[in-house]
Amino acid sequence: MRRALLAALLALALCLPASAAAAQKAPPKRIVALTPFAANTLVKLGVMPVGVGQTLGGNERLSPKVKGVPVLPLSHPNGPNLEQLASLDPDLVFSSRTWAKGNESMGDLGIRVLVQEPFRLNGAYAQTKVIGAIVNRRARAKALVASMKKSVAQARRGISAHPTVMLILGVGRTPFVFLPNSWGGDIVTKAGGRLLTGGVSSGSGFERISDEIVVAEDPDVIIAVPHANEDDIPSLTEYLRTNPAWSTTSAVRNGRIYISVDNSLLQAGTDVARTIRKVRRVYLEN
Amino acid sequence: MARRTLVFAGLLAALALAVVASLALGAVKVPFAEVIEIVFGKGGSGPNQQIIETLRLPRTAEAMVVGAALGIAGAILQGALGNPLASPDVIGVTGGAGFGAILIIILFPGSIALLPLGALFFGLLAAALVFAVAWSGHNRGSTGKVILAGIAILSLFTAGTTGLLAAYPERAPSAIFFIAGGLTSSGWDELGTIWPYFAAGFVCAALLIRPLDRLALGDDVAASLGSRPHLIRLGAAIAAALLAAASAAIAGLLGFLGLVVPHVVRMAGGTSSNTFVVPASALGGAALLAAGDTLARTLRAPIEMPVGPFMVLLGVPLFLWLLRKVV
Repeated sequence: MRRALLAALLALALCLPASAAAAQKAPPKRIVALTPFAANTLVKLGVMPVGVGQTLGGNERLSPKVKGVPVLPLSHPNGPNLEQLASLDPDLVFSSRTWAKGNESMGDLGIRVLVQEPFRLNGAYAQTKVIGAIVNRRARAKALVASMKKSVAQARRGISAHPTVMLILGVGRTPFVFLPNSWGGDIVTKAGGRLLTGGVSSGSGFERISDEIVVAEDPDVIIAVPHANEDDIPSLTEYLRTNPAWSTTSAVRNGRIYISVDNSLLQAGTDVARTIRKVRRVYLEN
Repeated sequence: MARRTLVFAGLLAALALAVVASLALGAVKVPFAEVIEIVFGKGGSGPNQQIIETLRLPRTAEAMVVGAALGIAGAILQGALGNPLASPDVIGVTGGAGFGAILIIILFPGSIALLPLGALFFGLLAAALVFAVAWSGHNRGSTGKVILAGIAILSLFTAGTTGLLAAYPERAPSAIFFIAGGLTSSGWDELGTIWPYFAAGFVCAALLIRPLDRLALGDDVAASLGSRPHLIRLGAAIAAALLAAASAAIAGLLGFLGLVVPHVVRMAGGTSSNTFVVPASALGGAALLAAGDTLARTLRAPIEMPVGPFMVLLGVPLFLWLLRKVV
């Protein structure tokens, strides 16, 4: 009897870790994706999120397949309204470091939060695989990454010129430049542009640099990402064109000042190849 | 008298040094001899000429004008209200200008060229509201009423600014530099648009120097000498509003300068006479802002930082040293 009990306990002890591991590996069923990158990646992997975050600058970058999925408004630095989020009863939230304060609060509610917003193209590949592993769609994630790499390579084919590009964030006379470790900076570099950075680096991926450097490094192209609407493009272009500090740059003299009002250069997405093609065709002409 | 002369000479020397540093230093190294040649129109070409003529010269001029304006605004407000804590914040100008600028940045980014005028308009509107409240009803024009009305209007506009920033968080980065205070390299455009407001403010302030000295004797004594205390106070507040709103339109929110510089020159000169304090505050403010802006541009060059923290860094140690020594 004692031996039988001991054997039963031993069997139970052996089974417990396996069942616990199985429980841990069970893919989350109710996922909220606060970034367009996570939302679109999930959809491409065949997983429909139960909620998506509002996209900065409009929702046109979200996959049409998430139409009908509740969209959560986001505010800085808290992210979504916690009551709205809790009402969706998520197992997992894919968030961004932009909502750092909100991520802590979500954790306090017992919601598992993973920060998945790449700031470089290589990060997008790696994080696609991470998301695939989490939702137990590894093979599809691997195939998706391979497809992304192939289409990016096609989009980069035949780059004929490498103009110096000043990519700026915001409006006003104190704009911040995108650095190579920002999404937009990496996309422009992949599209063949040479980013004007003044040699600075910053963990945030953005920095305010001196106009003296702009004059000295003489950008061929200026692209502004101003958080504005389509209607504002002509007036913003004129405003930048008439900035006395930049009047002697090649970009101003040759009329190569562009305003990007969608957020394809601001936030990571899965439409990388399309964005690179657009940057080459519209802005860099290479 | 010798002490005042010495302080005045010291301030002039500090201003000269700050101006030379502002013209000679920047993110791009330009040989000093070439800077001199370009400034005096005797040579220079290419990017270096563009950097000195279009970027550094107007920026140095803006630093001098804005610094002088804020120094004078603080000096005449402290004199008129008889309150050492008075500054352009107290009459609501800073709050109003901040709201006007953020309104354009956040809601009307396509009209960003109107930012200086937006800041100027709302800065003056805020001051007008303060005057309307403070110069009506009982105790009209009293110091307490002006200060309380100013605090209320300041809170109103600050709430509006905070609300806009919270409603459009993704647009907030563009507003950071304005809120933190800083000069930009906009050539002569902004100064060219705003100068009449500076000129009106400077003229009003100059005309008020002697009346303010009479007001310092007390309302009753000033009245017995033929002055009209309420009118002097209103004139000083209008001049300060013009100077502070015009400053905010160009350099954002730099409240610290208007508060501290008049105290520093008062303590250094050992007198509260406005004949000395007002012009000395102009020199001190101009020197402090020109020096602070040079530091903000060069310390982490080519990264540019807001000038506000640098002015605090330069001004506070001097202020605390004088406070310990004199008071």
